[in-house]
Amino acid sequence: MSQKLSVVGKRIIQPDAAAKATGNAIYVSDITIPGMLIGKVLRSPYPHARIKRIDKSKAENLSGVEAIITPEDTAQWQKFDRGLKDLPMIAGGYTVPADEGVLNERARHFGDAIAALAAINEHIAEEALELIEVEYEELPFAIDPEEAMKPGAPQISDFAGRNIGKHMPYAFPEGDADKALGGADCVVEGTFTTTKQEHCTAETAAAVARIDISGRLIVWSQCQLPHLARREIAHIFNMPVHKVKMITPFIGGSFGQRGSLCAEPICIALALKTGKPVKLVYSREENFIALESRTGFKCNLKIGFNKDGTLTAIQVYMLGRLGGYMGCGPMASAIGMIFGLGHYRCPNRAGEADMVMTNTPVSGAFRGFGNPAIMWGIEQLVDEAAERLNIDPLTIRLKNIKRAGETANMGLRLESTYLEECIKQGAEAIGWREKWGKKKEGAIRRGVGLATMTHCSGAAPLYLDHSNAFIKLNEDGTADLVVHPAPVGQHIWGALSQIAAEELGIHAGDINIVTGDTDVTLFEYGSDASRSTYVIGNATLMAARNAKEQILARAAEMLDISPEELKISDRKISSRVDPKKSISVAEVCYDAIYNFKGECLNISGKCSWESKWNSPPTGAFFAEVEVNTETGKVTVRRLVTAMDCGKAINPMAVEGQLEGGMQQGIGYGLTEDYVINKDTGVVETDNYDSYKMPGILDMPETKVIIIDEPDPKGPFGAKGVGEPGMVGVAPAIANAIYDAIGVRIRDLPITPEKVLDALGSG
Amino acid sequence: MKEIATFMVNEKHYELAIEPHMLLVEVLRDELGLTGTKHSCGIGSCGACTVLIDGRPVLSCLTLALTVRGKDITTIEGLAQGTTLHPIQKAFVEHGAIQCGYCTPGMILSAKALLDKNLNPTDKEVKHALSGNLCRCTGYVKIIDAVLAAAEAMSKEAHP
Ligand code: FES
Ligand code: FES
Repeated sequence: MSQKLSVVGKRIIQPDAAAKATGNAIYVSDITIPGMLIGKVLRSPYPHARIKRIDKSKAENLSGVEAIITPEDTAQWQKFDRGLKDLPMIAGGYTVPADEGVLNERARHFGDAIAALAAINEHIAEEALELIEVEYEELPFAIDPEEAMKPGAPQISDFAGRNIGKHMPYAFPEGDADKALGGADCVVEGTFTTTKQEHCTAETAAAVARIDISGRLIVWSQCQLPHLARREIAHIFNMPVHKVKMITPFIGGSFGQRGSLCAEPICIALALKTGKPVKLVYSREENFIALESRTGFKCNLKIGFNKDGTLTAIQVYMLGRLGGYMGCGPMASAIGMIFGLGHYRCPNRAGEADMVMTNTPVSGAFRGFGNPAIMWGIEQLVDEAAERLNIDPLTIRLKNIKRAGETANMGLRLESTYLEECIKQGAEAIGWREKWGKKKEGAIRRGVGLATMTHCSGAAPLYLDHSNAFIKLNEDGTADLVVHPAPVGQHIWGALSQIAAEELGIHAGDINIVTGDTDVTLFEYGSDASRSTYVIGNATLMAARNAKEQILARAAEMLDISPEELKISDRKISSRVDPKKSISVAEVCYDAIYNFKGECLNISGKCSWESKWNSPPTGAFFAEVEVNTETGKVTVRRLVTAMDCGKAINPMAVEGQLEGGMQQGIGYGLTEDYVINKDTGVVETDNYDSYKMPGILDMPETKVIIIDEPDPKGPFGAKGVGEPGMVGVAPAIANAIYDAIGVRIRDLPITPEKVLDALGSG
Repeated sequence: MKEIATFMVNEKHYELAIEPHMLLVEVLRDELGLTGTKHSCGIGSCGACTVLIDGRPVLSCLTLALTVRGKDITTIEGLAQGTTLHPIQKAFVEHGAIQCGYCTPGMILSAKALLDKNLNPTDKEVKHALSGNLCRCTGYVKIIDAVLAAAEAMSKEAHP
């Protein structure tokens, strides 16, 4: 499929960039409405406690305090699942119990919301918070999933026997993994643990809510899934859906964290209680303890190979820590198993996971979902097998990766994959041949390592992958595109403009994105699962195609030739046969709107798109590290990401996704550790002084290679690329460390202590 | 007790009644509506709240407003001339250095403090100047590209 493209593939400037560069862009945190109150939340200092009594009288008497709400006040509203999974969206009817109230009479984790208030300004709100007196009855708590599963452990939710919130089977098992492992020439196995990584969105969670006089609720929300959030909010607050309007301003980062309800429920409750607009902005500390962060796992993995390096069996048991509420966490294991076990060609695959409730902050979705956790182990074990079989790491992977036409990770046909090119080009760029497997000496040793991965383009066939796009042509040949992705910084408005403009034969700058208001936008699943470009992109493409057919039909009539003869490009429609016969898009659109011949039409196209396909992006990650064997310090010197993400709609935006993924991957690999005190349940890392996310000086030299080959199913050949960028970074670093010093770290993050320990025992 | 103080922000004078405990970031955002200055960590660790005071980068989340009265305060809103972007802003836009954009104002002002003194910075000097500004989206790669490109554009402007 080779197509001459004039807009797609260009490094266009983002339509929203200038607003962000000048301070002109409005985020939820920036919004002020006349009469607006400021909300604050009182949070539990204990990991598990019953609220015996709340005395709000002193706080209520403080001048400027307008309302204080406690669990008693919020009991009138429905319980919900913050991960939006208590209402069906997933194929097969997967749901999780609605286990959370707006406020809860029993705190289930450090930082759980106990009470909330609204006051006329921030300082009064803060002062009032201190005046609320709470009497807690401390309860026994469980921090560790293994402890939580033991008999006699404190029960966190009634529905979760042994605190297992969900037992998740692998959705695409095949063959007999046990048997195949028994007969394998080489079996590698191990336990690999990963951490609860915090998203560190630059903007903390925030919401503004207002009830208008007609009883309509207007919510300025950062949710990545505004239409699903609207449905959930309507459900929680016993309102019909049309009484709720969700507005999505710019969002200061998300990476999956805003795929759940964050500040919205409490903010809305305060607005309902006061009848006034309320703004609730979480502090950085609240962002750490009150929201979902990455699900931490312990993965027991076993992989079998034949002597020649053919992978024959893979088996995993994942133990995941959910926290005090279900949230999005359970699906992290399901997704991890799908991508991990389905990455290589393998006839015998088995997996299951227990997702365990604990008295810790909630776990959920973070870029890559469970994929980085499972690949952390798999890619190290593949290297281990290669060494045992005396095959090099590149060859063993090239031997086992899937090829186009085989079955992809979710049972669909793999339409395209260029992982082989990723591996080869990445190896070249890092200097694999010269550097890998060489003898190392001295205190400071260098090594190189690689990891590969696959991910998704959207949520089909697991979730209902439903998007809508509507496009209307204006009288001057420009167009308004009505869509509702979440603008979290992924350059999606630009990408959708390029897709629409390419199809309509106009310029990207001719497209105006109409978005961010559920009153106006059609149903949209949202920005999740690396789906915006692929799924909303396909909806946009089809809507544009629909409009284009109308343009061509009218142009044909105006030029008096057949529509088949026409082509459209650079804002012009012309005959392929006789290029002199041409008319501008603007003329056609003008004639359609101001038509005195009785043929008025606002040319417009619409598409309700339910994605049935899922083209997996694939990629290879190469790291070069330097390990100081005296201090244990690991420094990443170079990182190369080679990605097959189909046709890059905008290579600059794709690079940005992958470069950002490297930063998060390095943090996940080396420094980011969410520490919960085992004795007190208190989160000890709740801001950037204690939680170390990489700064500019922590970044190595980086290189991104985009393979840029179109996929048959994506819009103009694009695949999803939002999440893949961080998946392979940590295992590539671990493999490079092994190359440098000959020891394996199986527990994230790779701290100097762990390196020294491993060196000592090795 | 509120105190009347005069602030000079983006070359304009503002007379405001300020509580002594008010932080500069609060005055800028809440009193003056200059919400381009962002609040992100509140403890001086992320740089999102960076503004320039007499040309030097300062964290407005750690600065009591009354301590900078009368000083020359520049926020992100003070850089563009109408819709004409400052060369650093232009470079950030053109190099794809902006994703969610929440770190961007602080990044641009830290970069400005550097380039106003040094129009020919090395890679290392750029990194050093931005080392107090955290970004979760970009991996910093395009931010460095943008600052170097801005330096080049600005030095061409300065010595045509
Ligand atoms: S908000 Fe001031 S340094 Fe982070
Ligand atoms: S662009 Fe999002 S934090 Fe820097």
